[in-house]
Amino acid sequence: MQTLLMHLNTNNDMFKLNLTIALRNLWKNKTSSMINVSGLAIGLASCMLLLLYVSYEWSFNKQTKDDKNVYQVMINFDGPAGSISGTGTSTPNTIAPALKETYPAVKAASRIGDADTRLIANGRNSFKKIGRFADADILKIFDYTFIAGDEATALNAPNNIVVTASTAKLLFGTTDVLNRSVRFEDRVNLKITGVIRDLPDNTSIKLDYLMPWTLFENLYEWTKRPMWTNNNWTTLVRLNPDANAEMLNASIKGMIKKHVADATSSPMIFPFSRVHLYGTFTEGKSTGGEIEQLRLFMGLAIGILLIACINFMNMATAKSEKRAKEVGIKKTIGATRASLISQFLIESLVLTLCSAVMAIVLVEVFLPLFNNLLGIKMNIVYANPYLWMSLIGIVLFTGVVAGSYPAFYLSSFNPLQVLRKRRSGRGMWSVSLRQVLVVVQFTFAVILIISTTVIYRQIQYLKNIPLGYDVNQLVELPQDGQLEAKFELLKERLMKSGAIQGICQLSGSMADYNSNFWGMEWPGSTETDRHMVFSQLATTYDFAKTTGLKLVEGRDFSRQFSSDTSAMMLSVSAVKVMNLVHPIGKIVKYQGDLRRVVGVFQDFIWGAPYRKQDPMVVAFRKEGTGYVTLRLNPANTPSANLAVVERIVKDINPAYPVEFKFVDELYGQKLKSQKILGLLSNIFGGLAIFISCLGLFGLAAYSAEQRTKEIGVRKVLGASVANLMQLLSLGFLKMVVLAIVIAIPVANYMMNSWLKKFDFHTGISWMIIVMAAIGTIAIALLTVSYQAYKAAKANPVDALKYE
Amino acid sequence: MIKLQNIEKYYAAKGLKSYILRHVSTTINQGEFVSIMGPSGAGKSTLLNILGMLEEPTYGTYEFMGEDVTSLNERKRIELYRNHIGFVFQAYHLIDEMTVAENIEAPLLYKKIGSAERRSRVADMLDRFNIVGKKDLFPNQLSGGQQQLVGIARALAAQPSIILADEPTGNLQSAQALQIMDLFKKLNEEENITVIQVTHSEVNAGYGSRILHLLDGVIKEDVNLSESLKP
Repeated sequence: MQTLLMHLNTNNDMFKLNLTIALRNLWKNKTSSMINVSGLAIGLASCMLLLLYVSYEWSFNKQTKDDKNVYQVMINFDGPAGSISGTGTSTPNTIAPALKETYPAVKAASRIGDADTRLIANGRNSFKKIGRFADADILKIFDYTFIAGDEATALNAPNNIVVTASTAKLLFGTTDVLNRSVRFEDRVNLKITGVIRDLPDNTSIKLDYLMPWTLFENLYEWTKRPMWTNNNWTTLVRLNPDANAEMLNASIKGMIKKHVADATSSPMIFPFSRVHLYGTFTEGKSTGGEIEQLRLFMGLAIGILLIACINFMNMATAKSEKRAKEVGIKKTIGATRASLISQFLIESLVLTLCSAVMAIVLVEVFLPLFNNLLGIKMNIVYANPYLWMSLIGIVLFTGVVAGSYPAFYLSSFNPLQVLRKRRSGRGMWSVSLRQVLVVVQFTFAVILIISTTVIYRQIQYLKNIPLGYDVNQLVELPQDGQLEAKFELLKERLMKSGAIQGICQLSGSMADYNSNFWGMEWPGSTETDRHMVFSQLATTYDFAKTTGLKLVEGRDFSRQFSSDTSAMMLSVSAVKVMNLVHPIGKIVKYQGDLRRVVGVFQDFIWGAPYRKQDPMVVAFRKEGTGYVTLRLNPANTPSANLAVVERIVKDINPAYPVEFKFVDELYGQKLKSQKILGLLSNIFGGLAIFISCLGLFGLAAYSAEQRTKEIGVRKVLGASVANLMQLLSLGFLKMVVLAIVIAIPVANYMMNSWLKKFDFHTGISWMIIVMAAIGTIAIALLTVSYQAYKAAKANPVDALKYE
Repeated sequence: MIKLQNIEKYYAAKGLKSYILRHVSTTINQGEFVSIMGPSGAGKSTLLNILGMLEEPTYGTYEFMGEDVTSLNERKRIELYRNHIGFVFQAYHLIDEMTVAENIEAPLLYKKIGSAERRSRVADMLDRFNIVGKKDLFPNQLSGGQQQLVGIARALAAQPSIILADEPTGNLQSAQALQIMDLFKKLNEEENITVIQVTHSEVNAGYGSRILHLLDGVIKEDVNLSESLKP
């Protein structure tokens, strides 16, 4: 027992000594330690940030308990000949009640209204926040955490309202607001029956307050009617745990057609947790979505960590040659292999641990900035065991991998070999391994440079695609409250004020594809033409004048022609697909009414800018409008214009705050996911290159140090500084060139397949590749030559003095 | 203590054997102070390396303390290093990253000696070699002679029965060299530690009790000083 204790004690002492020596070594080689530790820290931090983002996106809609049983109802639209032309997330108001009534597998089903911001007020304290209407079942679908109130009854009466904690604080300054009264949309008073904890940022069903569906039906009489083909709302269901979704899908397929004989849509349930990442559908089947981009980020995260690990390993192996002597001595005084292995491993683990600590600090510092750039709210949850597990895993992995070469290889040396002056032939294997690693590292870096450039150019290209209308100075606001009824008054006062040049009503935003239809008939149309899908926008007067849309033929809707209230305009591509030679004056059957074509306009970008635009119909329809679009007067500053507009709008519609949106900003948001890709690949691509160069810098320093004697001898023999620099840099350059040669086809292939996803895209020009190659070589050369120059300038006497 | 029988060492290059050692047979007893001398290339260091089990002979047998150690596995060899053999090198070979005290302590750690005992032995060594004031310095802060003192202190800390020294004074000034030799002689006489050193210097060899003259890998002469000096 005693000997065992003693044994443990000495082991412990040995560990302590090894640890002190490891720290001492760290301190002694400050530069290389800094390179080592900070390089790895930057790599770890980048990896952590990216993985944080990946996990943020990954856990989208997965916060609910048993999220596997939550499904969203999707609507598949029939295409020609039994195909499915598209899949949408908007559903009729009849699906949820019918599902719950008919199918025992459905435990709960709720209609959920859209995420518009709506007015909520406590006295004069009024805000526009996201308010949603939903059936009471929503509380069975999601497990919202009730701070106050009864979950079972909170949405049972039409005049109830459930608010989030931050909404309660905003309105009342406290969360203790149960049974207090708030005024909604300046129309009804509602009683707060529940306060729930704020929802996480990464959910599709965002809301600040929640109201019963019955209230919605009371406020908007028309929504009471069961409408099987009016797709307007979201429907979510929770199935029983033992339910079979496939079977349910098969049995609900004909549901809509059963009620409406000529309906062309069929419902389908799809896992709610997959909607965000796998939301691209073809033929009613999920074929990917954001997940592809997420995989790219995961690859980037692993790649950066790999680059940093390679640095670390390279430095460790380079250094280890110097330490062979130490191994020899220790062996002659009785060190076993095991003790040497543990010593080297401890050393590299100490380094990785330092890096991990530094990485956490870096992540904490840069997270707000990162969040800001991406427009999301992520934070590190330190209580999350997975975080620690993965962090410890990464540290252990990196430490062991990086330390394993010196640990296992060096400890096997015969002491004589290393003590006899100098080790002859410094392990061919180690040198070539290091070269391989450097090549891998730079291959990755070059791929990143090329990809980043291509992505940047593609985004620029998309930005510069002609929009078809004048997006600048164009502002839109929702036609809330009194604005619809008093539109003429609004128009008159705004025009008179001189703040605007034009104003029109629209059914939806100019910046966002929001409606389509099929089943149009025109002179010469066939039965299959009926399946042609058109996008649609409804408006009143001055559409082209306000938006700056180009008319190719005919005219805009005008007051001078009273028949224009039943007229329509077509886009150039619509005229083309409809095969109309003289479109003006043609009578077209649209939504069951006959309409006369009065104008043809140039296609404009309404949907995704990288997709071909659908043919489009713009119809005159006053009832369908929901947006007011204004063209500001460029003679004044936008802020002066907006101030005038705000005053007038507020005057006409006092109950509502005025919310402007610049259409160019809205349009910019369409490229959000491409921009995120561009942004992240820029930042992390740059970091990857930086870390690679850091590694190269360290390696160059070591190689110069190792060859001090050789350099000394060569100098004595008459080599010039240039000769020596060439000697020292060439080896590294060869590796970088090899990396470039490998990287170019890989990057080319990857980027070509990325670009194929866009209908409109740039190509990968040779210029990009040449620039990337030259850039990489230049950076590498700069990195290496500093060390080479330093070594070459050194006095040969210093190098030759010893031994 | 040491018995060499017909030790040979050669390297085969291009079918030609180049001999380093030939037919070396000798016996060294506990308590002897042996100097191995000879011109450069005579095989002195190789012989010492074979004695220290750092190299294996190509042929012949080597018995150490009655045990055949001609080819020994690493574990057993390390066991011998820990308990019986202390090395002293011409280039000192201290561990640069360790302080003087830690260098002396290192073999004790490997020998798994308790911390109290270790402390007292290190203190003892520092005291004995008059380097207490230097115990927290690193090797590169010491002069050559001081470094070699630490090297010897390290070799002695584990209380070996034999010290193998490869030109221990080769890098030292003569005054320091004499000091080291005095130390060896004292250790040999007072503690009965066997010392085997390789040296070029007649003066150094004079401290010992026996000289093995090596020429081209063969023992040319085996002089017993204690006997020859006796009247």
